[in-house]
Amino acid sequence: MDRKKWIAMAMSGMLVAAVVSGCSSSKNEGAESLQGSPSSPAASASGAESSVPAETISEDIEVWSVNNGYKEVTKGSPMYNFYKEKLGVGIIQPYVEWNGGTTYQQQLNLKIVANEMPDMFLPVNGMEYDLAKNGAILDLTDLLPKQAPHLWEDIPEEVWDVIKSYDPNGQGRIYSIPSIFDYGKTGAMIRKDWLDKLNLPIPTTQEELVNVLKAFRDNDPNGNGEKDEIPTGGRQEGRWMDYLFAMYGIAMQEGYPDWDIYDGELTYSAVTPNMKDALVFIRDLYKQGLLDKETFLNNKATWDGKVGTGKVGVYFHLVDAASDYLENIEKVTGVKGDYTVIPPISAPGYEAFYTMKRINSQNWVLKNQKDTAKINAAMKVLDGYGDQSKWNDLYFGVEGMHYDMQDGVPTKKPEDKSVMENIVLSPFYDISVLDYYLKMFEEVSKDPTRKWAIVQDVRNLKDNQKYVKAIAGDGLPSSIYADYPDIQNRTLYIEYITKIIVGEYPIEKFDEFVDKWYKSGGEAVTQASREWYAKVKA
Amino acid sequence: MVKARHRTFGEKLFGLVNASALCLFALAALLPLIVSVSTSLSSKLAVDTNQVFLWPVQFTFDSWKYIVFRPDLWRSFGLTLASTLIGTALALLVTALLAYPLSKKEFKLGGVIMAAVIVTMIFKAPIVPYFLTVREIGLFNNPLVLVLPHIVSAYCLAIMRTFFKQFPHELEEAAKMDGCGYFRILFRIILPSSTAVLATLGLLYGVVIWNQYQTPLLFLQDQSLFPLQMKIKQFIVDGNELPILAAKAVVNYNERTLRAATVIFAIVPVVLVYPYLQKYFVKGAMLGSVKG
Amino acid sequence: MAIPGVLYFLVFKYIPLTGSVIAFQDYSVFKGFWASDWVGFKHFEKLWAYPGFHRIFWNTIILGGLRLILTFPIPILLALMLNELRIAYLKKSIQTALYIPHFFSWVIIAGITFDLLGYHGLFNQVRGWFGYEPILVMQMEDYFRPVYILTSIWKEAGFGTIIYLAAITGIDPSLYESATMDGASRFAQIRYVTVPLLLPTILTLFLLDIGSFLDLGFDQIYNLLTPMTYRVGDVIDTYVYRTGIQQAQYSFTTAVGLFQSVIGFVLVYVFNRSARRTEGGLW
Repeated sequence: MDRKKWIAMAMSGMLVAAVVSGCSSSKNEGAESLQGSPSSPAASASGAESSVPAETISEDIEVWSVNNGYKEVTKGSPMYNFYKEKLGVGIIQPYVEWNGGTTYQQQLNLKIVANEMPDMFLPVNGMEYDLAKNGAILDLTDLLPKQAPHLWEDIPEEVWDVIKSYDPNGQGRIYSIPSIFDYGKTGAMIRKDWLDKLNLPIPTTQEELVNVLKAFRDNDPNGNGEKDEIPTGGRQEGRWMDYLFAMYGIAMQEGYPDWDIYDGELTYSAVTPNMKDALVFIRDLYKQGLLDKETFLNNKATWDGKVGTGKVGVYFHLVDAASDYLENIEKVTGVKGDYTVIPPISAPGYEAFYTMKRINSQNWVLKNQKDTAKINAAMKVLDGYGDQSKWNDLYFGVEGMHYDMQDGVPTKKPEDKSVMENIVLSPFYDISVLDYYLKMFEEVSKDPTRKWAIVQDVRNLKDNQKYVKAIAGDGLPSSIYADYPDIQNRTLYIEYITKIIVGEYPIEKFDEFVDKWYKSGGEAVTQASREWYAKVKA
Repeated sequence: MVKARHRTFGEKLFGLVNASALCLFALAALLPLIVSVSTSLSSKLAVDTNQVFLWPVQFTFDSWKYIVFRPDLWRSFGLTLASTLIGTALALLVTALLAYPLSKKEFKLGGVIMAAVIVTMIFKAPIVPYFLTVREIGLFNNPLVLVLPHIVSAYCLAIMRTFFKQFPHELEEAAKMDGCGYFRILFRIILPSSTAVLATLGLLYGVVIWNQYQTPLLFLQDQSLFPLQMKIKQFIVDGNELPILAAKAVVNYNERTLRAATVIFAIVPVVLVYPYLQKYFVKGAMLGSVKG
Repeated sequence: MAIPGVLYFLVFKYIPLTGSVIAFQDYSVFKGFWASDWVGFKHFEKLWAYPGFHRIFWNTIILGGLRLILTFPIPILLALMLNELRIAYLKKSIQTALYIPHFFSWVIIAGITFDLLGYHGLFNQVRGWFGYEPILVMQMEDYFRPVYILTSIWKEAGFGTIIYLAAITGIDPSLYESATMDGASRFAQIRYVTVPLLLPTILTLFLLDIGSFLDLGFDQIYNLLTPMTYRVGDVIDTYVYRTGIQQAQYSFTTAVGLFQSVIGFVLVYVFNRSARRTEGGLW
């Protein structure tokens, strides 16, 4: 659920920043900007007015989703009334601890055991597969176009085809609603101001990159008289340094190797010859002190700390989030830095790209129940969820609780989990559209104190789109890993690459890794994925 | 305790080394507390950029102010306190009632029951049947679930039984000859002399109930019934790849500072209890001797 | 008299324990206990057939053994040392300080451990004074077990002294007095008075500990483990966690738990029998 949450944060961050800066981001404007976005064809109706209140029905439904510590939504509460007004249906949500998905999953399972499955909920860890197989969730194929046309239209047909392929019974029925992303969100960022200071251009070859990294290491670009610069680095499990792998054409999302076409066949990128060559290069960087020695021990907080105190030259992360680091760097060191996206650098004989995946995890499933009134209520909610004219309303939440009107402009209040009820539906996060984001950023950049940083986010976001490539494995269901959790968890992969990179294993051990991987389930998983690919994409 | 007597040089040296070693160990033990306190008193920026370790950076009371003014946290505190006091008293009672017969050789079933108890300590029921059972007896969303599942622990039972076994038999013999039944013996003679055990086990039970998390997680859905540890979890958010811009602009705390503050909030009462309990240890039962 | 206690164990422990049968089923939350298929020892076989089983099993045994041998005596030692302190307020403060780490979660303790042993942490700074190069301890296999033991002691030893101290305080002072009058030194007193009287408590606690021999504390290991130390640190519990969370595999998790419990029980039984000879057994 990593992705889902950072999308959530990214979105709320930008929109909140927009509002905090006092710029107009009224409901009208939001609705307008959503029209004509390339990947959401035939979006909702004109949306020139603020969204029309929906016709209410008497049925309530219980909905479970991510809750990071906010209050529950009970019958008659402000949030309940809000949903009843906007979508026509009262929504109830008890507080269920999220804890990265593990507690949530346990609580959900216990509810299922007790025969109290919620009417609509977020499935985690691929549970929708078992649920569908056992007939526990509803077949949505016919219901969606009829009762939730807005949502049906929001998601392109080719994506629905992929969802149909997830049917465990092989009937091509739709059992879940996906979340989709139509733009590339991650890339490598370099301190352009350091390059300027050292009179170096943005590197376009590996050799140039290595020289730049060496200069970062030795020539004190952050100007504090100490050799504390970290040319580049990553985090635990070797994640978040994808660009080093990307140089070799390795498909990788947030540090997790992915599936793409290698040698004409869909293959797991971690076991290709590309990976071996990549490891040689990365290993060399580590040896020369160009890759943070603590890479494999860095958790998010530690790494953020290093970047945020102006020590890191090149990092790989969300391209529209550099402003976060930049603002911290300014507060800590007084320097207004510049992080720019580097175009992917191709290693000799390879073609580099940053990975983009359009289809993310599944967002909603519906309980398979006899009560048609409840089903209709849930479909009505889904329709409202997909209605882009309502997105701004759903974002802002309840007046007085989540936002205030300041000078006639809705402004999000600072987060206060003790009074705010959880926002159950966040369609603007789940069905992400590039133009919407860009428009929000343009608004935020009008704030004079933050403009210098936000402008970089916009630039980076736009530029990054030139560098991304959608991989073949986009939409691959997690059911291919069934029975092989160690393959899904990359246990073998992590062990081997970390030891190879730090120099404990010689590079030859890589072949041993590939062999073991195939023998311990990789063979079966690869076969399953190729079958899926042949059925769906060919 | 020991009558004053001339200490040899070796003994004095030992005393010094002993004290120093203990002080060192104590300092090491205080480290997590020091780190948490520093984090809770540091600014958002300092914690975000990972600059805090042993002392606060950019000192601020904001995190503390935030949690201290949260009524739901105090409610949870009250609930946890009540359940701890009631639960501990109940636990000591039930445990004693079970430990006493088990410590008597006359009780034929004693061995069997004790073995059965130890078995439960080693073999743990899987979550699903446990959940269903406790739910069946009506403890779902019921505050009693903070007390009842903890009223006996095999560990404490075994300890109490050992203590009872060592209790001087002569006193019991005397009481029996006076015509006292087992209940009277237990309550009038044995327990009053067992303050050390009761204080110790009371502390153990108290800590378990105070800190409980797994059990209420399964059975409490109503937020107003959450004990402290569950409340603290509400302050922790995992896996965010991006912090919220608004919060940064306006407030001077983040998840980590809040967590540090709430952790300390939950620990302080327990830490204060121990020194208070220590005086009961001294008045305790005496091992290996007959009370005059 | 024993009824409330027995009732508790029946309701809260034994009835749920019957649910352990799911270890022999392919338990599905949709089918419940009665309708789920029976698969006999399939899950146990799956565990034993796991290519890394050898590794996780031995790691578990080794860590369990080290823990028993090295961390068990520490609270006893600490209690004896604390008892020798003559300044009351010092004794009280140190006692209180020592038991504080017990209340912090492993997430926090492990976090501090990583910081202390990091590149710029205290450990490497001290090494620097002696002219040594910094090393990344948490990445090195050889250090995992010592770190596991030391952090266990750090966190739990203080809390463990509580029981021993209570027991020591209960020793009749007149015994010490008569020992003094016989000319015994402080050391001798410890050896001939304190320790023997403490023995039943020590024995009981030892037997109680053995039962959870294979229970190494998932939180602790999970938080201290890094992929580079898997070879010595990956244990049964961490393996089950990786496998179990994926598809909420209750049957598999239960089967592994049963396997570990049986081993623990055998150990307690064996040790208890020898303890009974000195009247110290648990039953």
